[in-house]
Amino acid sequence: MSATGIGASVLRKEDRRFLAGRGNYVADIAAANEVALAFVRSPVAHGRIRSIVKPDGAEHLVFAADDLDGVAPMRAPSKLPGYKPADFPALATGKVRFVGETVAACVGATRAEAEDLAQLVEVEYEELAPAVDMLAARAPGAPLVHEAWGDNIALATRTEGDMAAVAARAAHTVTREFRMSRQAMVPMEGRAVLAEWNSRMDQLIVHTATQVPHLIRAGLALFLGLEQRQVRVIAPDVGGGFGLKTYVQPEELVACWYAMKSGRPARWISDRREHLIADANCREHHYIVTAHADADGRILGLEGEVTVDAGAYSIYPFTNCLEAAMAGGNLPGPYAIEAYGVRTWTVVTNKPPLVPYRGVARPGVAFAMEMLLDAVAREVGREPHEVRMINMVPESAMPYTNIAKKTFDSGDHPGAVARAAGMIDVASVRERQARGEPDGRLIGLGFGSYVEQAAHGTSVFASWGVQMVPGYEQAGAKLTPDGGLELRVGVQSHGQGMETTLAQVASEVLGIDPGNVSVIHGDTGLTPYSTGTYASRSIVMAGGAVSRACKVLVERMKTIGGHLLQCEPDEIRVADGRVMGPAGDLPFSEIGRVWYLNPEELPADVDTDGVEAVVGYRPEPDHGTFSYSTHAAVIALDPDTGAVEVLDYIVVEDCGTMVNPMVVSGQVYGGAAQGIGTALYEESPFDESGQPLASTFADYHLPGAPEVPAFRLAHMVTPSPHTEHGIKGMGEGSTIPTPAVIGNAVNDALKRYGAEVNETPISPRRILAAIAASQGEAA
Amino acid sequence: MKPARFDYARASDVADAVRLLGSTDGFNKPLGGGMSLGPMMNLRLAQPDLVVEVRRLDALKTVAEEDGHLAVGAGITHSAIEDGRIPEVTNGMMRFVAGQIAYRAVRNRGTIGGSIAHADPAADWPTALRALGAEVAIDGPDGARIVPLADFQLAAFTVALEPADIVTALRVPRLSPAARWGYYKICRKPGEFADSIGAVVHDPERDFTNVVLGATDGAPLDVAALAEAVKGGGTVEIDDAKAALAAQGAVFDDYGNQIHAVALSRAIKGALAS
Amino acid sequence: MTEISLTINGAPVTASVEPRTSLADFVRDGQRLTGTHLGCEHGVCGACTVEIDGEPMRSCITYAVSCDGAAVTTIEGFDDDAAMEDLRQAFTENHGLQCGYCTPGMLVTARDIVRRLPDADEKRVRLELSGNLCRCTGYVGIVRAILSVLEKRRG
Repeated sequence: MSATGIGASVLRKEDRRFLAGRGNYVADIAAANEVALAFVRSPVAHGRIRSIVKPDGAEHLVFAADDLDGVAPMRAPSKLPGYKPADFPALATGKVRFVGETVAACVGATRAEAEDLAQLVEVEYEELAPAVDMLAARAPGAPLVHEAWGDNIALATRTEGDMAAVAARAAHTVTREFRMSRQAMVPMEGRAVLAEWNSRMDQLIVHTATQVPHLIRAGLALFLGLEQRQVRVIAPDVGGGFGLKTYVQPEELVACWYAMKSGRPARWISDRREHLIADANCREHHYIVTAHADADGRILGLEGEVTVDAGAYSIYPFTNCLEAAMAGGNLPGPYAIEAYGVRTWTVVTNKPPLVPYRGVARPGVAFAMEMLLDAVAREVGREPHEVRMINMVPESAMPYTNIAKKTFDSGDHPGAVARAAGMIDVASVRERQARGEPDGRLIGLGFGSYVEQAAHGTSVFASWGVQMVPGYEQAGAKLTPDGGLELRVGVQSHGQGMETTLAQVASEVLGIDPGNVSVIHGDTGLTPYSTGTYASRSIVMAGGAVSRACKVLVERMKTIGGHLLQCEPDEIRVADGRVMGPAGDLPFSEIGRVWYLNPEELPADVDTDGVEAVVGYRPEPDHGTFSYSTHAAVIALDPDTGAVEVLDYIVVEDCGTMVNPMVVSGQVYGGAAQGIGTALYEESPFDESGQPLASTFADYHLPGAPEVPAFRLAHMVTPSPHTEHGIKGMGEGSTIPTPAVIGNAVNDALKRYGAEVNETPISPRRILAAIAASQGEAA
Repeated sequence: MKPARFDYARASDVADAVRLLGSTDGFNKPLGGGMSLGPMMNLRLAQPDLVVEVRRLDALKTVAEEDGHLAVGAGITHSAIEDGRIPEVTNGMMRFVAGQIAYRAVRNRGTIGGSIAHADPAADWPTALRALGAEVAIDGPDGARIVPLADFQLAAFTVALEPADIVTALRVPRLSPAARWGYYKICRKPGEFADSIGAVVHDPERDFTNVVLGATDGAPLDVAALAEAVKGGGTVEIDDAKAALAAQGAVFDDYGNQIHAVALSRAIKGALAS
Repeated sequence: MTEISLTINGAPVTASVEPRTSLADFVRDGQRLTGTHLGCEHGVCGACTVEIDGEPMRSCITYAVSCDGAAVTTIEGFDDDAAMEDLRQAFTENHGLQCGYCTPGMLVTARDIVRRLPDADEKRVRLELSGNLCRCTGYVGIVRAILSVLEKRRG
């Protein structure tokens, strides 16, 4: 391992500008003559717009749906049979379907002036009964979000399993109901867009806070009636994404439309209230799951009913049915199960659309499966970590194709459980639990495991029916005339540190110092096409592509270097920024000089494509990588207040080859902290009329430093047999088990009451209600 | 999320502030640290016509001991109290309470007078100062007056201030050296507004015992039966607190009944243990 | 519009502002000092934290008019500050930032912690950070960075 290549904890190149306060986010960019937008948003969850009255004298600065000539509603189709796409209009057309939906756009010299105008627009609504709860909305007779459908079910799927065969052998049948509540994603930077028309380029230039610039370009062109060459999307520094910044936003479309119509740059910067009430939300799953287990706790069969509350509209491009598809495919987790049957429903309601959030469906899946597993362990009277281990696919069985047809590539899943159990020291936790705390709090121990399919390839996305199937990921590598390296990738780095890690991949292959590498990303005008950054794919796909591009470059540099050093190209190696032959070496700048400035010195057999290569890459097979992990936590629960403190938290994870262990650890910590948010704090509740009840951080609680434990982390390294350098995707992983780990720990603490909390967030209110209910039953 | 337009004036002294606040018939607000008013204006939940800045008035920054009270200027910041930059007459209670308000960056600008005038039920000072038996010094068009805090806060966000009145100081009685206090706040995270607050001051030498429940949906509640129990020297368990609240008709939802009783019980235990 | 005079990062500034303009918007839009970030505009997240007259405060709920005569230091104004230099180095060494959005406010708060509370332990550091939200790091690197600077300053 080199000091700067794969495996080194290289300090991040991007840190300097952020630490100096010189990052460059969309809101930091000023355009001459720009205007600001603010939106009139629906105050009702479901209603018909009777009239919109624009303020006197400001009619030319206020725009409703009828004014948006040339803007098509956003449609995100799916090839899955029976799917009903719910078009998402940029501005509400006729009906409003959630509180916060954009009804009219107002233009001002400043955001404050635009808001002044928005306050003056009068809209009359005819209120309709809303569909708020997904189970009620699924039932016949519910108010219809989209009348033409006849029901509220966007997609229903059914996979049959041979339950009869296993049920007969099962000593225990355990059924539980779980609910993961709706929440917001809350990147610290909200969504932001600055659109302007550039006449010279005949191009709409859109600075927007996105994870997927090339997909946004495709969507904007489609819905604005432009050719894609006429749209350039630039994502500058982006302050976190977590899934939120993967869809075309109504406000983004309106800003683009106004910039085209008026010729003036148009800016819309989301504020926190808009994020909490009107942006796409996430999670909100309901499960009824049943395990058929033998007397040892080995799960023979698993049955599930999964309902996902998808909100009112389908977001472009990933649709609102991806969550349910992922849930159905991932419920069996890392376990070897003989029989599996699942039904899923994607239900529309009068709430904001749902977009996949870090972990995509799997935090909900793990919340159901991992907590069901602990219920089984309690039923058979065994330690939960032991029950996990006997159910897991052992290392000797790898590669292993599970009941949901996922092929785990490698790894020692039970080994991760054993290591986590050792680190948390199960015996001493049990001893402490039995001893009791001086302050009367109850100790609870929880485990959670998962396998994370990541960097899903072409065949996987094609099977989901989405229209943006990723193929060969491309990267460009270019040696500059002075011997530096420019990398061009279509993914976007918004916290993952790819300006450093991709440079490390190049350093590994090319022997160049990462300090001499520039990573150019997030700009459709400068980078090869990519579906972008999501699904823990970028270091696998873009990292692999960078590696392949650099390998091509090495071959070409060897040809030139061999000529200059008077040796055979295959005698050349590259290291420390130099091409080295048996009898001498040259800096990369000499290669650059010859190609660019003194081509008369080039050898006859030089590759005419020069010292720049764009290379496509995808792993084969392309079913994605399979990272895995086990988490364990000890909590203290105050039975009088319902307060939960996380005392200890262990992560044992295996994501194959780590390009930068420091960055990997950072992703693990951050994901686990978000999981603690889901577990204990975060919720976007709605009342019966569909009004959102958390519109500020006074009501929506993000975990802060006091709420998050000092995680203890151990890495295992099983390189992928299928990917360049053995890298596996891992960015989302640690959000996946955390709600279940905390939930299992809480239910372990509540064992003495026979109480369980099976709904997130596991709030004091819910804990106290569960204790009170158990005492009511006992009495 | 930008405020609606407002006019702004900076008062030169208290009399000028009173004059400015009364100078128009509109909705006029004094601005201290602005740590409560600012968010409400940014959210356009408050849209004053005129904002009169009083934060820098010397008269509101004075701290003086007089006839058994410490008069804490309304413009004194929470962090000044937290850091012990003003005399401590409450055996450490005010310092303790101040350090739990919001976050340091808010405490550096937010003021005790502003908090009392804003009267958010979930804030700390309304409950803590009521337990201490504090009084509010007010100046207005009709001159200065002093109102016991118990008569000042009428309901959530509702106080006995006329439109052109401003709070000039909080008069906090000096506790006897042997006096004890307890303060127990239940909130989801440090710095967040409370779900419940129990505050107890027990000063037998002055024949003063007060038990107050805060973070209800109204003004802080005196729980006289529990004050009697504290005087009697008995401990108060959760069920005792529940019974006392129920007996005086203070009934909440199941969660509220539980945590309010816990906050009171723990505040009392803390006071008796100190 | 109201005329104000103040110093920003040591330099005198005189400007005419609308009373409703927050200090954050004033330094960002008026002075082009965009290192001060807006994360909630209601005083909770801490991304906008700047120093006013030597103390960290929220610039999103502080109006520029009320800073007439004040000395304001934004993240761009600490380049010659020894404590900030140590913190910046410690933040990068401990991976105390990812997307960078909370970082300026986090650093202003961190600098206050290491100067005001030289004996702070991990629990206290975490408590003092309660008014600065980070969505990326899980606070691990941030807490470690601050503890390492405290340690260094204790010698």
